[in-house]
Formats: sequence, C-alpha cells, structure tokens
Amino acid sequence: MTEFVDLETQDGVRMTWNVFPGTKQEAMNCVIPAAAIYTPLKPIPNVPVLPYAALRCRICRSILNPFSIVDYAAKIWICPFCFQRNHFPQHYASISEDNLPAELFAQYTTIEYESVHDAGPVVPPVFLFVVDTCMLEEELGYLKSALAQAIELLPEKSLVGLITFGNYVQVHELGFGQMPKSYIFKGLKEVTKDQILDQMNFFSGKPKPAVGVIAGARDGLSAASIARFLLPASECEFVLNSVLEELQRDPWPVPADQRASRCTSTALSAAASLLGVCVPGSGARIMAFVGGPSTEGPGMIVSKNLSEPIRSHKDLDKGSAPLYSKAAKFFEGLSKQLVHQGHVLDLFACALDQVGVAELKVAVERSGGIVVLAESFGHSVFKDSLKRIFQANDYDLGLSFNGVFEVNCSKEVKVQGIIGPCASLDKKGPLCSETVVGQGNTSAWKMCGLDKKTSLCIVFDIARKDGPDAVGQSTNSQFYFQFLTYYQHNDGHMRLRATTLSRRWAAGSGSIQDLVAGFDQETAAAVMARLVSFKMETEADFDPIRWLDRSLIGLCSKFGEYQKDSPSSFSLSPRFSIFPQFMFNLRRSQFVQVFNNSPDETAYYRMILNRESVSNSVVMIQPSLISYSFHSAPEPVLLDVAAIAADRILLLDAYFTVVVFHGTSIAQWRIAGYHNQAGHETFAQLLEAPRDDAEGIIKERFPVPRLVICDQYGSQARFLLAKLNPSVTYNSDAHLRPGGDVLFTDDVSFEVFLNHLQRLAVQ
Amino acid sequence: MASSFSPGGPSRPRPGYYPPSIANPSPNPSPASSLPGTMQNLQIGRPSAPSGPPPFLSGISASASGGSRPGPPPQSLPTRPQFQQPPAMSNGPPSIGVSGPRFPTQATLREPTPTIPTQGSRAVPGSSSAGSPANDLVPPSIYNSSFSAPAAGVPMAPPSLVSSPPQLHSLMGGQPSHPLAGGSPSQPLAGGPPSQPLMGGPPSLPYMGQPQMVQYSGMRQPLPPSGAAPPFGSPPVWQQQQPRPGVAPVSSMVQAPPQMFGAPPSPFTQPRPLTPPVMGNSPLAWSHSSTPSTIDPNQIPRPMVDSSVIVFNTRQGNQVNSPPPATSDFIVKDTGNCSPRLMRCTMNQIPCSGDLLSTSSMPLALLVQPMAIPNPDEEPIQVVDFGEIGPIRCSRCKGYINPFMKFVDQGKRFICNLCGYSNETPRDYYMNLGPDGRRRDAEERPELCRGTVEFVATKEYMVRDPMPAVFFFLVDVSMNSIRTGATAAACGAISQAIADLPEGPRTLVGIATFDSAIHFYNLKRALQQPLMLVVPDIQDVYTPLHTDLIVPVAECRQHLEQLLESIPSMFETNKVADSAFGAAIKAAFLALKPTGGKLLVFQSVLPSIGTGSLSSREAEGRTTNVSSGEKEAHKLLQPADMTLKTMAIEFAEHQQVCVDVFITTQAFVDMASISVVPRTTGGQVYYYYPFSALSDTAKLYNDLRWNISRPQGFEAVMRVRCSQGIQVQEYSGNFCKRIPTDIDLPGIDCDKSIMVSFKHDDKFQEGSECAFQCALLYTTIYGQRRIRVSNLSLPCTTMLGTLFRSADLDSLLTCFLRQAATAIPTSPLSQVREQIMNLCVNILHSYRKFCATVSTPGQLILPESVKLLPLYTLALSKSTGLRNDGRLDERSYWANHVASLSVSLAVPWVYPRMISIHDLTSKENNDPILSSILPLSSANLNDDGIYLLENGEDCLFYVGNMVNSEILQQIFGVTSVDGLPTQFVLQQYENTFSKILNDVVNEIRRQRCSFLRMRLCRKGDPSGMLFLSNMVEDKSPGGLSYMEFLVHVHRQIQTKME
Repeated sequence: MTEFVDLETQDGVRMTWNVFPGTKQEAMNCVIPAAAIYTPLKPIPNVPVLPYAALRCRICRSILNPFSIVDYAAKIWICPFCFQRNHFPQHYASISEDNLPAELFAQYTTIEYESVHDAGPVVPPVFLFVVDTCMLEEELGYLKSALAQAIELLPEKSLVGLITFGNYVQVHELGFGQMPKSYIFKGLKEVTKDQILDQMNFFSGKPKPAVGVIAGARDGLSAASIARFLLPASECEFVLNSVLEELQRDPWPVPADQRASRCTSTALSAAASLLGVCVPGSGARIMAFVGGPSTEGPGMIVSKNLSEPIRSHKDLDKGSAPLYSKAAKFFEGLSKQLVHQGHVLDLFACALDQVGVAELKVAVERSGGIVVLAESFGHSVFKDSLKRIFQANDYDLGLSFNGVFEVNCSKEVKVQGIIGPCASLDKKGPLCSETVVGQGNTSAWKMCGLDKKTSLCIVFDIARKDGPDAVGQSTNSQFYFQFLTYYQHNDGHMRLRATTLSRRWAAGSGSIQDLVAGFDQETAAAVMARLVSFKMETEADFDPIRWLDRSLIGLCSKFGEYQKDSPSSFSLSPRFSIFPQFMFNLRRSQFVQVFNNSPDETAYYRMILNRESVSNSVVMIQPSLISYSFHSAPEPVLLDVAAIAADRILLLDAYFTVVVFHGTSIAQWRIAGYHNQAGHETFAQLLEAPRDDAEGIIKERFPVPRLVICDQYGSQARFLLAKLNPSVTYNSDAHLRPGGDVLFTDDVSFEVFLNHLQRLAVQ
Repeated sequence: MASSFSPGGPSRPRPGYYPPSIANPSPNPSPASSLPGTMQNLQIGRPSAPSGPPPFLSGISASASGGSRPGPPPQSLPTRPQFQQPPAMSNGPPSIGVSGPRFPTQATLREPTPTIPTQGSRAVPGSSSAGSPANDLVPPSIYNSSFSAPAAGVPMAPPSLVSSPPQLHSLMGGQPSHPLAGGSPSQPLAGGPPSQPLMGGPPSLPYMGQPQMVQYSGMRQPLPPSGAAPPFGSPPVWQQQQPRPGVAPVSSMVQAPPQMFGAPPSPFTQPRPLTPPVMGNSPLAWSHSSTPSTIDPNQIPRPMVDSSVIVFNTRQGNQVNSPPPATSDFIVKDTGNCSPRLMRCTMNQIPCSGDLLSTSSMPLALLVQPMAIPNPDEEPIQVVDFGEIGPIRCSRCKGYINPFMKFVDQGKRFICNLCGYSNETPRDYYMNLGPDGRRRDAEERPELCRGTVEFVATKEYMVRDPMPAVFFFLVDVSMNSIRTGATAAACGAISQAIADLPEGPRTLVGIATFDSAIHFYNLKRALQQPLMLVVPDIQDVYTPLHTDLIVPVAECRQHLEQLLESIPSMFETNKVADSAFGAAIKAAFLALKPTGGKLLVFQSVLPSIGTGSLSSREAEGRTTNVSSGEKEAHKLLQPADMTLKTMAIEFAEHQQVCVDVFITTQAFVDMASISVVPRTTGGQVYYYYPFSALSDTAKLYNDLRWNISRPQGFEAVMRVRCSQGIQVQEYSGNFCKRIPTDIDLPGIDCDKSIMVSFKHDDKFQEGSECAFQCALLYTTIYGQRRIRVSNLSLPCTTMLGTLFRSADLDSLLTCFLRQAATAIPTSPLSQVREQIMNLCVNILHSYRKFCATVSTPGQLILPESVKLLPLYTLALSKSTGLRNDGRLDERSYWANHVASLSVSLAVPWVYPRMISIHDLTSKENNDPILSSILPLSSANLNDDGIYLLENGEDCLFYVGNMVNSEILQQIFGVTSVDGLPTQFVLQQYENTFSKILNDVVNEIRRQRCSFLRMRLCRKGDPSGMLFLSNMVEDKSPGGLSYMEFLVHVHRQIQTKME
C-alpha cells in the first residue's frame, strides 16, 4: 500500500490498477475500471519551476519529458506518445547527456513551467460577494461579521465587488463616491450580459459597438467603468464595510404563511454577467452566501407558500419536484457561462432549510467552486471555513484560477471522462473513448477554480485488443500518460504543470498476479464511490446497492482464491482484503443511502467527494475510529459498535463530522470535574488527547468539519452510532459487554455481509 | 368706441328691475335703417351715447354711465381710464377732470392704508434675480401689516365705480335692445341691498378713473388680512415678494381681474340702473354715423377694465343674479347659489327647451372650478358634519341636501329639486316649517341656506383610509438636462419648495432621478446618508424598495436637502443622453402605489428610451410630410401611441396618482404625447421653452411652490347633477373617467376647472328653475374626507332675448377655447379656425335674426352681453394654438393648458393685457399700479416706448428702438437697446421707475397666480416679432385685422340671412 502513497507523493496520482489489464476484455473482467485520481496542484516538494515555455511535440502537442528518447547528437527527441521525431529548437542547442534540461531528469516526472514573458499583465484575483439578505436579523449579523473579517484578510490588490439580494438583486457600485449606490434588478428573470452592458452605463457617452463580443477592458470598456463595480480591496475597504454595516434584512414584507422571496438564481446570473462584462477570462470568484431556499426567478426550488415542502429525494425520484429540472437547467446554463468566462462560483449555504445546493451543484462543480454547507452563519463550520479561504498560512488552500487540464496518453488507452470539479472543453480527438463517464468526449477540461487538493478522477478505457486484432499494437509493455495543467498561480502568473507517467500492461491472461500486485484498493473504493454517485445522479432507475454488490462479487470471483461452491474456502489477497469492507461501508454511506439526507446534503457530500484525494475519500466512505484509554496508547479500532466501552474515549473522523465520544464512566468523571482536580492530571490528559487530535484534523481540513463532543447515551451520540458496524443490535444474540452499546437497527452487520459475499463469490 | 348705440331699445330706459326678458325683445329698428348697407359704415358711433345718461345721472351711480365703458376696474389697473375713456366717451374727459373733487373721498379711503410704501417694501431688491433664495429676505410681515389696517369697511366703496355702464360700446350696430340687461331683477335696486350701503360714499364719484385706483389699493389691502382663505398652505408667493404668509396673495389673485370686459348689461347690481338710459338712448351709433365710410378704430368694442370691487349676492329675494365678469374683482355673498368662481354657466337663464337652445347657437355648459380660491373677504365655506348618518341625500337621485330642496308636509318630507322625488325626512333631521314655508332652522343650517357647503364624509365614502399627502419628485438628470442647468434649477426649486410643506406625519415626500435608468433614493432617517438605488431595466420597471422611498418630510428634510444639493454635481459628468420618462413615471408610480399621491416630474429632453419612449416626430413630420403635411399635421398633435395613455389611466383609476410635468427644454419633447399623462391624472403641464437657467429658475421655483402649496385635494371623485329636463352631455378637463357619470381626479386643485356641457332631454316649465349640483368627494391635505357640494339654481326662460341677455361672455369664451383645443389634434388648423368663427357667426346671426327687430341688413348688431365675441374670436384664431407658424410643442402645450384653464384666466390667455411702461412714472396718479390697458394693435406701439404684455403665463417686454436711454438704465440697467440681454431677469434697481415697474409686475403675478415668464422683445429682432404676433387686432399674414374681421363677420351674417 505504501508504494502507492509514495507514487502519490511524487506525482499526485493514484490509480486503481497500477498494472493495466492487457486487453479490453480483460479490463471488463477486472470489474473495477482503470482510473486515476490526480491532484494537479498537489504540493510536491522540490518540483522545479522552469522559467521558459515547455517544448511540445509537433504532432500530439505533448511535452518533452523524461520518457522521451533523446538523440543528443542529432538534437532530436522522440515523443513517447506518438513516436514523432522532433528537433530541439535553438535554445536547446547545448543539450547533451551531461547537460540535461530539468524536464528530462528522470526524477522530475512532474515539473512546472512558468514563462513570465508571454503572459499578459498580472490580473489580480477578483472576489465578488453575493450576499443573501433574507434571513433573521441574528443570522445576518453573523454573516456580516464573518464577511467583515474576510474582507480584512483579502489580498490588497485583489478586486472586490458586492451584490446583495432578496426579493430583488442589488449590485452595489462601490466606486461611486458620493453616496452608497446600487443597481436593482428584479428577481424574476435572469440578468444577461447585454443587459448589464446596456443598463449599467458601460457605454455611457459612446455608442455601443454594433457587432462583436464586448467585454472587459481589452474589448473597449473603459477601466473607469469597470472600476465602478470592482475595486482593489485596499481602496474600497471602507465603503464595503460601511455598506455591509448598513446592510438590512430584505425589506419586502413576508406574509406569515410564506417564505421570503429570494432570487438566488437571478443574483448569481447578475454576478456572472457582471464578471463576464468586466473581467472575462481572468480569475474571479463569485462567493455566494445563501441563507435559504430560492423562491423567485428561474432557479427557484420551491414556491413561496410554506405549505409546500421543499423537494426531497423521494420527490426527485418520483418526478414530483416540478421546479427541480427547470432550476437545474438554469444552473446548467449558468455553469456554461461561468466556464466560458473562466469564473468560479463558491457557495456558502447556511440554513436549517435546504437552499438548493442540489440544483446549484452543477454550476459549483463545473466551475470548480468551493461549497460549504452549515446550519447557520454563526456556526464554526461556516465561519472557520470562510476564514480559511483567505488565510495565508500552512493550511492555505492555494486557490488558483483559470485552469485547463489536458491529458495525453499512449494510443491504446482512451479517456472516458473525468468525474470531478471541471468542465469539458469539447476538445475531441482520438483519445476520447466512446463510452462517456462524467465530463467526457474531450481531451481538455476547464478548471475555473482549483486548489491544492482538488482531485480529478480520470476514467480510462483500454483499447488494446487481443489476438489477431492486436496487429499494429505496440509491443512495448510500457505506456504513458501525460497530465498537463495550465493555471493561474496565486501569484498571478500562468503556470503549466506537466506530470508524465509510465505504466505497464499486464502481459496476457496469465498475468493475474501482476494485476493483483498493482491493485490499489483505496483508490478503487474512492473511484467506486464517485462512480456510484455519478450513476445515481445520471441513470434513471439505477440501483446502487445491487450494482455495488455485483461489482464486489465479480471482483471477488475473479481475484479471490477459493474452491467453487465452498464459501469457507474463500480467501483474498491482502491487496484486496479491505476492499469488501470499503464496499460495505460505502453501501451504508451518505453517498448511497440518500434517504436519510436531503437532496442538498447529498449534493454537498458528493461535491466534496468529487474533489477530494483518495485518503480523504476513504475517510468519507469508512470513517476512522481511534480509541483513547488509560490502558493503552491511542489506537485505531474497528468501526464497530463493539468499540464502545465505558472507560474509553472514541474519536471518530467521518470527514464531515469529527466526534469525540466519551464512554459512560469517562463521561461521569468529566461531569464530576475530575480533570480539574489535582491528582487527576492523567485523566485531564486523556480527555485532552482526542480533542487535540480533533483540532489537528479540523485545522487541515476544508470545509471545516463539524465537531461533536458527546457522551455515551447522549443524544449527540447518534453521530457516532450511525457510522458503526451493527455487530450488536437489539435483536442479536451476542452478549452485551458491560459498558458496551447496542444499535437499534435492522441493517446487516459486516459479518453477515461477508458471509453472503463469500457464498456468492464462489458460485 | 363704445359710444355707438343702436337706437335705444324702448325697453332700456327702465331701470328695470324686471327681468329684461319681458321688455327686452325690443329690436332696434331705427338704427338699422339708418345704416348704410355695409359694414364699412361700421364706424363706431360717435360718442353720442354719453349724453344719454344725463337724465339718470342724477342717480347715484350715474356718473358711471358717462364712461360708457365701465371704468377700469380698480382692482387691477387703475390707470386704465385714460385709455378707455378718451376714445369712448366724449364726456369722458370731463368726468375725469371732475374727478378732482372726488379725490378727497378717495383719499380718505385710502389713508388707512399706506399702500405705496408697503409695496415698495415688498418688492425685494434682488428679487428678480434668478437665484431667488434671496427673496426670502423680505419680511413677510410688512406686507401684511400694512394691509391689515384698512380692512373691512372700505372695500365696498369702490363698487360704485363698477357700475360702469359698458353698454355704450357694446353695441356695434345700433343695438338698442339690451335694456339693461335687466336680466337681473335685483338690479334696479341698484344692487342696493347688498352693495349700496357700502357704496354710500362713493356715489359721488363720477368716474372711476384714478380714484378707483386708490380705492382699489385700499381695498385690496384689507383683503389680505381677512384672509379667510385657502385652507391649505399659503398662496403663491412670488419670490421677490417672498414671505407673504397668509392669504394675501390669494386675495390678490382673486381680485386680480384687471379688465372688466364690457360689462354685460345684466351683471352688476348697482350700476344697472344707470346704464339703461344710456343704452336706450344710444342710438345706433354707427348706423347713424354721419361718416359711414370710416370706422373709428377706437370705437370698436374692446375689453374694459373696471377696477372697483363688486359685492355680489348670488341670489336676492329668490331671484338669481348674473355674476360679474370673471376677471373683475368681486366679493361673493353666498345666499343660496354658489359663488361664480366655483360654477359659472354660459348663460344665466336656462332655455326651457332644447329647440330654444339650439336656435340661440350658444352652448349650454357649466364651468366648474370646485376648489377655486375665494376672496378672503368672503365667508369661508362651512363644514357640516352629520355624524354617522352622513349627509342627507335624495334617495332616488342621490343628490345632496341643498337650499332648493323643498320641505313639505310640515317638514316631514322634502322634494328633491333635482329629480323631483319626494323623500321622507330622516327623523333626526326633522324640523317643522315656519310661516314662510321654510324650515325654521333654514338660516342656521348652512346646507339649507348656502350654495356651497362641505360635508364630512363618513366611512361609506371611503374605500380605504384617506391617503396622506404624498409628493414624489422625479428629476431628469440626462446629459442635456445637466448641461442646460435644468437639473440644478429643478433641485433648487424642490429644495426651497419643500420648506413650505407642512411638517405633519401625513406629509410624505420621495425623490428619484432618471436618465436611461431610474435612480431612487432611500431617505430613511436611520441611514447615515441617502442610499441610491438604480433601476436599470426600463422596459419592465419596478420599485426597488417597498418602504423608505417615501418618508414623512419631517424625518428626511435634512437628507433631502443634502441630496438635492448634491444631485447636480453628482451627475455633472453624466454622459447619458437618453431619458426614460415613461419608465421613470411608471417606476415612481409603483413606488406611490400603496398610497397614491402627487408625482412631480421635471423633464428636459425627448423621452427616447424605455417604456413609452417617443421619437422626434417633429423632424420626421417636417421631412416626410411636406406634401401631405398640412393636412396631416394635426395628427402630430395626437399622442404617438397609447402607451402613456394606458399608463395614465392605470395611475388614475387604481392608485390615485396625479402627475404634473415641468418641461424645461430647448428642443422638441413631444408635448402631445407627454401631456396625456397629466391630463388624465388631473395634473398639469408647465412648459419652459426655450429653457434658460438664468431667467426660468425663479419661475420654476414659484410654479412648483404654488403647485404644492395651493389649496388642493386628493383622490377625488366629482359628479355634476342637474334638474330633470337636461342631462350632462360631457365633461372636459384633466381627469380620468371610468363610468359615464363620474370623473376621477387623483388630484384637484384651486386652479383646475372642468367644463360640463348639457343637453336637453325634456322641457322646463317657464318660471321654474333649473338646478345644478356639483359634488366633489375628496381628501384634504390633512387627511379628511370631505364632500364639497356646490349648487346653482337658475331660472328657466322661453325667451331667446332673455337668453342672450343672460349670456356670460367669459364662460362662452372659455367654452369656445376648449372646443378649439379639443379640435386641434383632430382637424386641420384652418378647419378649426373656421369652426370657431362659425360659432361666433352663428350666435350673432341668431341674435340678428330673432332678436333684433327688422333692420337694414347693413347693420351689424351685437348683443350687449357678447359684444366682444368677435374680438375674442379673432384673438382666438390668432392664438398660439391656432396659428399656422407655431411649433408643434407650443401648439400642443397651448391646447393642453386650455383644457383646465379657469374662466378668469381664459380671458387674458386669449386677449392678453398690454400696458405701457415707459410712462409709468408720468402717470397722473400718485399711485399707479397698473396703468390703463392698450388695445392689442401695433398702432399703439411707439418706437420710444416700452410695453408690457401678459397673458397670465408669459410677460413680454417690448422695447422700441428709440427708447430714452435713461429709462433703459432705470429699468433694465443698460444704456442702449443693443445692450439688452437676451435672457432676461427683471431686476429691481434703486430708482422709482424700477420700483414701480416691479410693483406692477408683482401685482400682475398676484392677479394671475402665476410668476410669469419674462422675456425681452426688441423691435426688429425675432423676439420683437414674437411680441408683434400678439397684436391680434393687426392684419397679419394669416389673419384679418379686427376691423376687417368685423366686416367679415357681418358679411357672413348677411349671407346667412339671405
């Protein structure tokens, strides 16, 4: 397992199969698709940044890399992807075996290029705040203070704009000196770019050009007219603060039996259009702070009438959420606009109600935005997450803009698509597989926003065939991938990161051992989680449990060792051993068991899943559980109800929540306050330890997880219990250990699950 | 002029108490015969007439007769006499001369009032200056105080003067017939009852001349203090005069009417007796005339001025009195009929049948000005509160209780005078009858003894709580508006004007500006600064906030002032040339929706964008229509499309929003389309073209100030009921009509007048009376719901002669004026002029045919009451609205202005008043305020003279090219004609001349309730042409001279006769 982690450390890539099944048929038999989870901006120590432009293959545009074959004498290099011979240009003239450019160093499979001179002027990042005002006075207060804090943290040069909304959308003209001024748009219809241009005086005094796309300073808008709405943070801090300070609740009256009129979609379209007009193509984020469901305009998710409930999964399944598809379609359109402009939509949804994250998901995800879901703007999940975005420290998110991701690979490998925060650029080519998963049918993707942790799941298709069809295939057992990521570094310059990898084909059908050796079960679990989520969202009547079970059974049948029809003979290689458990937990996870959650929560969880690295994904699927007790050092324990004991403290990390759970005795001691008494320092330390660890987790995670501190039998304990394997339930025969706990569930336990699996696998 | 008379009608002589109708018919045989066949003979008779009076002269007021034209009404222009008298009456002079003796009396009268000084003081220095804030300087107190002293007693005296027997002139042909308009029975008494006592002193006065002036001044002073006056805010104060608090101004306006047009025979009580003789005697002046071939232009009928104050009892001894001329100065005693200011009928006797009416060719119409400002000396309108039961009404026709409802059956029942239904008297209202058949409490109950009362409305009259007084200002800030200074002027005006708004919680204000977007301002007090909210979507507008856009004035005064100050600079660099007028008013309307209210829009350019945008039709019209042009030109005076109309109806019908538009422009704005909005919502258009920031700023402020501070009501509904026999045919004016019987007036104010025309659907019994009742349900500015009910009951007649005698010239003119205005957008101009001329000819023809006894066809006979009709018709056909050469907008504005014009302002609007300025100081009187008026003929203009001409709206100064430079220096501060500025602001300099001039101008302003747009016109310059275009008696490229016109009319009549 560690070798995979090492590989990840070097290149930011993990693959389900590190040795690829040799043929298409073989790949089918392997059940788990060949896929990679790649973190383009993963901080990798010692990555050289080359101050010049990358050298590209004439034919396939791939970049010179350590796997290229170089003829030093002829000053020629051969592209490993298309085997094209390329001459080195003039400035590589001095190349020799002893004088290699960094990109040819074998260890620099991942390398960055930053050519300062060919980029335009450095455009500072833009932050456009879109703030909901339909909320309780108290909530608004929290939000205002959070925003005020955030504004202080903004980089001085960054440009800032503000839009508030409620019944109407208010675009604040922060650059208007004399008095607070804002443009008001009605909430009913979307605000187009043309409308913004026409109605907000971008052409004042000049006739509007009859043709052509107009936007941005480059296309004829005066900097002054743009500066009315987007100002350097340092200049507008005062105005912004005073506007925020005076920000009132939406003044339109709301009848008691109605929801507030909230035109989230219109506000977002106004924001997108404004950015499209002012700063197209340069890095900008729309940061939306939403405090309730959208009830007005094209993206409304529910009517104003309170007697109508907000859609649930059941409604979506039955098709009885009439507003859903319309809203989703609207946001789909918005996402296209954002992608086209290269802008990011971040969503901070803080309400007890749903706010429409499910509908907004497409826009946030395609633009690579951040999403944070919390119950209240006063909650630390929101407050601390917001702070994290702007805080520059070790846990800096490393927000970058305007990314374009490209893939090159050897001929026999094709790309089905990417599941993750990106949008297809529709660059079709021989690389594209006919089967499409996620954003497919392209070899280039837009990542308007990306950060250090953004991870894409690239699903491959193996085109290699066996037998007579194999003519013309390379006999080489090696093949290559190259991942290219252009992005606007947070210093403002454009960079290109190139990661070139080589993998090996499993030779023939007898090479099952190769496959086993190359199987990365954690990655497989993460990929399966993304796939199952994707299928649940896109395939009608998809039965996720059945699909997962079949996949698992198929995998076990192929890779398990057993005698037919003898369940007891079944055994799995260590490379596969935890995988069933992952699947067991995935089946029970929030990604698959959606009915306990609202569509908003589900969408939220999936969006996070789709942008996280393998290890974090695994935590989401199968939380980690650590036990603290007097008897031993902190140790991981099974995620099982049996882990509960009276004298233990358990720390559950379920990614979205971190639970510190005190066994009954500990809880009693704690309530008695022993930890404050002299002589009980150990107890105090014991209490402290899981808290410290939890702090550690919280500190590096984004969005900040919810911390739950609870005692056994307390109501909050449910956060832990829900995640545990129900090995002891109210109707199980097992004897209850003193201090242990019982789960009231009919769910099968892992043991039962395994038994079934064995039985089915060996059939 | 006046002198010529038809041979005295026989009837004339009698002092006739009796309705002239009886005697009246006398035709004037003799004159006719004498006349040569044609008009040319028309020379207006010799002054022979004067002689007539002598016999009667002895009478009290006899003196009056001497000047055939009634003396100049003291009110306005004292000096007048010179003008009129000389020509008119040979005797005139003597009388004047005589006046000497009179003076003493005057003096006495006058003494109490140090008028002159006051006025002097009043005129504020700097006043004229545009900026005007300065004006405030003048302590209002002065004005008042000075006046207050004289107060009560005095006023009446002058009336005697009034007596002026106009008749002399009036008869062009020897029309003897009008026996004194005997129309009013009361007259014989010389109006004795009411007026005489007062008169007492005066009788001695021979002529009105100067003395009157004196009196006048005296009189008027008293008035101000009395100021019963307008309920609401102070009347308009002109900047210069500034601070006049109280009523003063109002009073002035009321009295104002400077000219008394040839007094209709009937009107005046006192004078009457005298006149008859004159008339009678006066032989057909012109028929007789020895020199047939020439017409002495000075003897053609012309308006005259009577400066005296008349006391007018609406009814006396159960008889109806004909009202004094609308422009004269009178004090009404409401003795059953309402004041003629409130309702005035085109005829003071109602024809019994429709046939009779159509034979007369006169229209039967009522001009209703329901909120007209009373003279401060009049008894205020009483408010009657019936408590929860509400006003007593006829259960069939819903007419309101009034003095003409007849109580019968010991008071248990009452019979409705409108529909004749017999109602049961409500128990609480029962009262038994006295021996005279009237309720015993009739005199204590205003609703039973007054023509006008206000009832407190009960809940049944409200669909919601009475609305607050809401004023929403909408200011154009587009590029041109900023550049021309219009925005600054508007902001300045608003800022000053709101200072006068009452502070109560019921007075709300809001403001928005607009160019190609609409900018609202959140004025809520808690905010540190107003907040600007821009509505950019001008195709589909909305109000950006639900609250806080309109806030109590007390809470936001400071914010508002700051804001108004900063708006011009805020938009200083605005490059937006487009203006979204339609969208802006729509948006403002949405903001006003919850309450309704007044929307005051300041617009400077053609609305070129957004909802209701307009195109430059004028230019298009010029280029494309050259050929089809003339015929189709009138179409450009129709609204471009229905958008604004539809919008306006929505404003009016559902939300009670009244829109006033102030157009400060230098180009075409499509007035025809824009004006639809104010017209439909009961608002008004103000037009400043070409706008000059220098000269128009002061007027803008004063107009605005008067607009928001004048007496007015909101969310009003008005209905006029009348006796069975006739029915309402049509309402015309600025309102919106949803159902046939009622008109909706989102706003109604003291200046608005509505014309109601009637038609017969049955016959009246002779001797019966026809009643009119106008009920106006409205909300006062203080939020009370009231019903103002005005009643007018007029006798019915079967005699055509009576009808003519009772005709009301001023109302007729107004009626014609409105007909012309209505016709302008629908017919070619030539047709409209023709139509108007026909109206005149038909009336005269009818009179000639049926009332004037057989006479030679060559004689032009004019009924005394309407002898000025030809002159006015001529003037009307040459007015801005009917001239071919006018700009579209100006014509449209003219038509629009006319639509709500009151009777008293309609007269000068058609026939402006001109006076000479250069000789102001040399006038005989010590205290000339307005000198005599000059006929509108260029013959009266001298190259070394300076003349002032005003029509209630514009005030033109004409400067000849040889004016004494000293005078120029004194008046205009320049030494030569060439040095005169093109943009003019009347300044007050430290010299008597300038002071007097300013006094004169201020006087006019008060009379007209208007600040007047001052313009300088120089001879030989386009501006001079402008002035000359007002010389309606001249021959012009497009029209006949007065004399020619008379001939023309005469021919037409002759043609018809044959």
